[in-house]
Amino acid sequence: MKRIAIVAIAALATGPAFAADPGVTDTEIRIGDVNIMTGAASFIGRAVSVGSKIAAAEINDAGGVNGRMIKIITEDDGYVPSRSFQALSKLIEVDEIFALNGTSGTANVLAMMPLIEENNLPTIVSTAPNELVYDPVRPSVFTLGASYSDAFYAQLKYINDNVDIENPVYGLIRQDDDFGVAVEHGYNRAVEEFGVEDAARIRFKKGTSNFSAEVAQLDRAGVNVLANGGIISGAANILSEARKLGMDIQSAQVWSEDMPPSVNLAAQAGYDYYVADYVALTGEANDAFLETAREYVSEDEIEAINRYTYVTYAALHAMAEAMSRCGEELTRDCTIENLRQLEDFPVGGIMAPISFNNENQLSGTAVSVYQLDADTQTFTRLTEFVDY
Amino acid sequence: MDFFLLLISTGLVIGASYGLIAMGFALVYKATGVVNFAHGELVMLTAYIAFSLTQIFGLSFIPLMLVTIPISMVLGLTLERIFIRPMLGEPVFSIVMVTIGLAVILRGVTIMIWGPDPHNLTAGVTRDVIRVFGIPFYAAQLMSIAALAICTTLGWAFLRFSRIGISMRAVASHETAALLVGISVSRTHAMAWALSSGLAAVAGVLFAMNFKLAPDLWFQGLKSFPAVILGGLDSILGAAFAGVIIGLIENLSQGYIGQGLREISGFIVIIIVLMVRPYGLFGDRDIERV
Repeated sequence: MKRIAIVAIAALATGPAFAADPGVTDTEIRIGDVNIMTGAASFIGRAVSVGSKIAAAEINDAGGVNGRMIKIITEDDGYVPSRSFQALSKLIEVDEIFALNGTSGTANVLAMMPLIEENNLPTIVSTAPNELVYDPVRPSVFTLGASYSDAFYAQLKYINDNVDIENPVYGLIRQDDDFGVAVEHGYNRAVEEFGVEDAARIRFKKGTSNFSAEVAQLDRAGVNVLANGGIISGAANILSEARKLGMDIQSAQVWSEDMPPSVNLAAQAGYDYYVADYVALTGEANDAFLETAREYVSEDEIEAINRYTYVTYAALHAMAEAMSRCGEELTRDCTIENLRQLEDFPVGGIMAPISFNNENQLSGTAVSVYQLDADTQTFTRLTEFVDY
Repeated sequence: MDFFLLLISTGLVIGASYGLIAMGFALVYKATGVVNFAHGELVMLTAYIAFSLTQIFGLSFIPLMLVTIPISMVLGLTLERIFIRPMLGEPVFSIVMVTIGLAVILRGVTIMIWGPDPHNLTAGVTRDVIRVFGIPFYAAQLMSIAALAICTTLGWAFLRFSRIGISMRAVASHETAALLVGISVSRTHAMAWALSSGLAAVAGVLFAMNFKLAPDLWFQGLKSFPAVILGGLDSILGAAFAGVIIGLIENLSQGYIGQGLREISGFIVIIIVLMVRPYGLFGDRDIERV
């Protein structure tokens, strides 16, 4: 008996420290993904899920993370914060995940934050680059993506610098929520810096369909440069009303408007609008990514690919790189430390190289400006990735 | 172009959508005494059915409506038979709860079948701008206004002159008395659901043509509900008229005052009207002898 006890104590004393962290075996690393798989916003969740799947398959094909295969476990939250908390609880308690790479929307990730912090869960937030997520900084949380403020500033700066408009009159239409405030922040910065006429600022409630009165107000104010803070159907309906009134506008839009379903709706109005995004929408990197994707996912999943796919794909590669640098002794502490040291990690050009070695543990803040050709429904890249 | 006339014209367009949806609510309430909280979802579902019909058969607007309306009526009849008929005689509250459950089911089924992506629904209708007395409209916007006028006229004629319409009014007025004179209450209820679903199809298709087809279209049911209250829950024509009033008030308040007043202006009017006429502008005053 005494001998067994000594052997047991010796085994515990000499056992690998990483054995204390769940989600890692000799052959597998379990990564959680809490996502919007049902409901009206599930096109985001599907895209995110496909991004993780492609990255995991690619990493596993190349031998995994020091021989361990990545396994993604997805839980649906339906975009409901309370369900996000439940989903992550299940991932931690039942599935025993090691890290998290898929965190739904801003309110959702904030709902999960206590669990993330309590479990010291290495987490990359790739679909909600909101200031509330990275300020104050949480030690195990890393954020990927630019702010809406920078995205709108970038577009308005491009228009101001490159588009010849006689007597530019700026106007803003935005949601009356945190997202809208971020859009207005970028607009403020632009109109103050450029010294242009700021003729109209209009707020609307999320879910509004009818923008006829709002667009009539913009038209009456003579707006010809519009910061259009509408999303998907909303953005398209704003442009549709503008077209009806014969408005000649340069329209800066939210990056959701570069996704195929949004383009399909909004292009009908005929405006060659702008978007700024922190992922590549066109070019060699994009083509190469799609080629890789075809190796690993079905045609249906290819159809689901949009900008969120690229970000999550890049995020999982960054996570894998950090885990890989830990060697055999993979722990959460080590992964977090390596993520914190990540600098200029290349992700195939689908977004700017990732660097989390800054006080906010924030990367991907550089955006490119693109312009839509409404006839062909394709985008042209106007600038490289630039930090604003 | 005159800013005021522009706000009026577009107010009429959204008001027509509210009116068409509100008529469906009022029709079921008038005949059955139940508020169908799944009506917004029926509007959405029938619009998606129409979308599939245009995708598969390439139907233009008139043939599309000729096919979609009967399909929607059969759908309404089916839902009534499966979910509502077994509840006959149960407390109204229980039936209302069933309609709420039905709403959630229909929302889920719609996304399961058609997915979450939004779509354009044009049904072959031109996107050119048409000027009426100098005021710009899309063709689909004019069609919404016309559809409300047609449905209101047909609704009035149906309730006034048709045998089924009169039996519907009899059931609404006094169910037991209607039974005693040989009117089939269950058949009247079923007919109300069918007609209401037919109206939902008209409303859904036209709304999607004007404001895109997306899985949040069901929300227009809730947005139209103030029109039902304002018009009087049991007044089908009142609901149509109130829809237009709400649309105009929303647009004028947003246009002249702005900053999101659109969302609350309709409710302010309702509160004021209901304080003066608790049964709505056109509803029947319910008198009980005690």
